[in-house]
Amino acid sequence: MKAASGSGPVAARPAAKPGRSLVWLQGLACGALATLATPLAVLLGALLLPGLCVLLIDRMPGKPVARTMLLCGAAASVAPAWHLWDHGLTMENSLDLLSDVLTVGLAWAATATGWLIAEVAPICVYLGLEAAAKRRDGEARAARARLEAEWGIPPAEEAALDA
Amino acid sequence: MAEKSAEKPAAREGGRGAPALIGGRYQVDFAAPLAGAGGGVMAFVARDQQNAASGLMALQIRPNAPARVHAIELLSKSAIPGLLLPLAHGVTFTAEGSEAGFVICGAPPGPSLAAAPRAWGERELLDCVLRPAAMVLDALATRGVTHRAIRPDNIFQGSAGEPVTLGAAWANPPASLQPALFEPPYAAMCHQAGRGEGSGADDIYALGVTMLTLALGRPPLAGLDDTAIIRRKLDLGSYAALVGEARLPAMIADLLRGMLAEDPVHRPPPQLYLDPSAARARRLAARPGRRAQRALKIADQPIWDARSLAYALARRPEEAVHLVRSHYLDHWLRRSLGDAVLAGRADDVVRQRSEFPPEDSRADAMMTMRLIAVLDPLAPLCWRGVSLWPDGLGGVLAEGLQDNSELAGKIDDLVAAEATAGWALMRPELCDVTAIRQTAQHQRMWQRIRGLGGGLARISYALNPLQPCASPLLAGRWVARLADLLPALEAVSQQAERRRGEPVDTHIAAFIAAHQDGRLGGDLGAFAGDAAGAEPQLASLRALSRLQAAFPAPLPGLAAWLIERAEPLIERWHNRARRAETLTQLRHLAQAGQLLPMLALFDDRQALAADAQGLKQALAAAAKIDAERAAWRAASAERRRRATRIGHEIALGSGMMALAVSVGWLVLG
Repeated sequence: MKAASGSGPVAARPAAKPGRSLVWLQGLACGALATLATPLAVLLGALLLPGLCVLLIDRMPGKPVARTMLLCGAAASVAPAWHLWDHGLTMENSLDLLSDVLTVGLAWAATATGWLIAEVAPICVYLGLEAAAKRRDGEARAARARLEAEWGIPPAEEAALDA
Repeated sequence: MAEKSAEKPAAREGGRGAPALIGGRYQVDFAAPLAGAGGGVMAFVARDQQNAASGLMALQIRPNAPARVHAIELLSKSAIPGLLLPLAHGVTFTAEGSEAGFVICGAPPGPSLAAAPRAWGERELLDCVLRPAAMVLDALATRGVTHRAIRPDNIFQGSAGEPVTLGAAWANPPASLQPALFEPPYAAMCHQAGRGEGSGADDIYALGVTMLTLALGRPPLAGLDDTAIIRRKLDLGSYAALVGEARLPAMIADLLRGMLAEDPVHRPPPQLYLDPSAARARRLAARPGRRAQRALKIADQPIWDARSLAYALARRPEEAVHLVRSHYLDHWLRRSLGDAVLAGRADDVVRQRSEFPPEDSRADAMMTMRLIAVLDPLAPLCWRGVSLWPDGLGGVLAEGLQDNSELAGKIDDLVAAEATAGWALMRPELCDVTAIRQTAQHQRMWQRIRGLGGGLARISYALNPLQPCASPLLAGRWVARLADLLPALEAVSQQAERRRGEPVDTHIAAFIAAHQDGRLGGDLGAFAGDAAGAEPQLASLRALSRLQAAFPAPLPGLAAWLIERAEPLIERWHNRARRAETLTQLRHLAQAGQLLPMLALFDDRQALAADAQGLKQALAAAAKIDAERAAWRAASAERRRRATRIGHEIALGSGMMALAVSVGWLVLG
C-alpha cells in the first residue's frame, strides 16, 4: 500500500567511505594508463607486482606497508620505465625489459627493502621510546630512594605501580 | 630534735656495706639486737655520734607497715617524761647490705612489765602505772597524738617502785601490733593496719586492760582467740567480759569501769586520772543495749543484740544479703528485738538497695555497710568482710598492695564506691561528714587517673608519706622521699639486668605523683594520658629532669638508661640525618648526666614542627613520583602504538626519498 510505504522510516543513505573517490581516480588513472600505454602498464604491473599484492592484503589503516613497498618498488622502476619510453613504447620492448632478471630482481628487491623498512622501523622506534621511558623511571626511582633514605618513607610497592 | 637524712643526702653515700648515719648522727649496731624492746618491732642498739652516753635504740620499719610520720614529726621536738619518744627517722644499710628504714628513739630503762608477770598491788598500780601513763597520755593529747600501743610488753620499768615508761609506737601503723584484748572491740575488729589513729579514749581503754592484767597477774580471757574475745566484749560489755568473776580492789574496779566503757565518750580523759579519786567519782551511766527474746543464728553463733549482729554481718557480709532477701532481718528486729525504730532505719537501707539491679554486688556491699552502721553506729566501716576506720585506709592499702591482692581488690572497690562517705552519712553525729566525703572524693579522683601516676598506689603513697616506693626496680633499696629517688635510680642504672624496663614504672610514677610539689604537678599530668606513643617517655623524662633540678646531682647512668628507652622519642624526628644528629647530641649530654638539656632537645616543638613539615613535603614529592612512574608504566601500549605510527611514517618517508632520488638521478644524470 502506498500509504504504508509513505509512513515508513526513511532509509538513510550509507555514508561514503573516506578515500573512495581517490581510489576511483586511481582506478581511472590505471585504466587510462593500461589503455593509452599498455606496454608501460605491463612493465610497471610486473615490476610492482609484490607491492600491489600486499596492497590487496594489507588491513592496516592507510596501508603503510604496501605504500612503502610500492614507493620503493617505484624508485627501482623509474629507470626501466624511462628506458621503455626512450626506446619505443612497444610491447616487445616491454617484454624484453621484463625478461631481464636484473631489472625485475632489482625492482622486487627494492620492494622487499621497502617491506623490511616498514616492518623494522616501528620496532626500532618502540625500542627507542622504551629506553627513554626506562631512563626516566630510573631517575624517578633514584629520587624516591633519596627521599626514603632521608625521611624514612616506606618504599613504593612495584605491584601497586603496575596496577 | 628530729633530723632526717633527707636534709643531709650525703649521709647515705657510704655505699653498700659501709654504715650510714641516720639523721647525720645515729648509727645502728646490728650486732646488738634488743629483744622485746621494740614493742613487736625489730629493735637494735643505736649510738649517737654526738653523745655516746645516751641510751638509744633503732626500730626497723617494715615496708608494708609504714611508720607514723605525723606522730614522729610532732613528738621529735617534744620532751615527754615516761615515753620513748622518736628522735629521728631515716635509712641505713642493714647487715645484709640492703637498705631499710629506721626510727631512732630512746631505749627502755628496764624490762617490760610482761617479762616477770605478777599481781600488782593497788597503790603500786596507781603510783607507778596509772599516774605516769595518764601524764604521758595527757601530754600526747595536748599535741593531738595517740599512743595506741599500751600493753604490758610495751611498758617498761627501770626498777621496782619506779614510774613506768611507755614504749615506742611509731615505727608501724597505729595499734597494728595490739592484741585484740587490749583494744576496744570496735578497733579490735578492724584489720590490724586499719585501726587508724583513734583517740585518747582508745589509749585509756588499753591502759585499763593493762591495769587489769597487772592487777590479776595474768591476762584476762586467756585461751580465747581474737574473734571470741571481741564477741564476748560486744555481748557482755568490755568490763563484764574482761573482769568476769575476778576480785579486784574497789578503787581499781571503779576506775576500770570507766576506762572500759563501751562508748569512747564515756571514758574519762587522761587528765582526770592524774587524780584517781576524781576519776573514780566520775560515772556515766550507759544504757545497756536491748536484748532479743529469741536468738538469731549466724554461722551457728547465737546473736542476742544489734551490735553483735552488726559484728556478725561485718565478718560474714553474704549473710546480710540472705537475711534481707528472706525478710528475716526485719522480722527479727521487729518481733524478737522489739526495736521498731531500728527496723525502720534498716528498711530505709534496704529500700535504697532496691534502686539497683539484684545482681549488683557493689550495691549489696553498700547495703551491708549501711546496715552495720545502722545496727551499731559505733562500729567501724565494714566493706566486703574488711573492717577499718577511714584514717586507717593507708595502712591497709600499704599491706594490700605489697602482700595481699585480694585485700587490695576490696579496697579498690571501697574507694570506687566512695564507701567512706556513705558510711559517714549513716552516722553524721559521730564524725565529720564533710571532711570524710572530701577525702573520699579525692581518693576516688586519684584512683580514676588512668595509666601511670594514678590508681591505688597513688592513694597508698599519698596516705603513707613514709612508705617506701614498692617498685620492683628499687628492690633492696628504701626510697621513701623524692630526694632519695634519683640516687636510687642512678644506682639501679648501673645494673644491666634491671635496665630492661622503663626507668619510671607504675609505682615510681605514683610515688612521684603522691610526693609531688607544685613544680611537678603539670608534668605528671602526662602520666595520666594514654600510654601509647612517646608521651609516657617524655613525661618520665620531664618529671625526672625537674626532680634533678630540685635535687641537683649528675646522673650519667640514668641519662644513658633514658636514652636507651627513648626510642619512641627519637622516632618523633622523621629526618634521618636530624635523628642521628640528635642521638649524637644525646649521648654527649648523657655523659654529663644532665637531664634538662636532654629534655630541651626532645621537647623542641619548633624544630619538631619544621621536621613534620619537611616530612609532609617529602611525602608529597614521593606521591608525585609514584604517580608519574605509574603513568609511565600504564602508557606502554600507547608507546607501542606511537612507535608503529612513527615507524611507518619513517618507512613512507624513506620510500618517497628513494623515489625522489631515483627520479632525480634519471633527470639530472
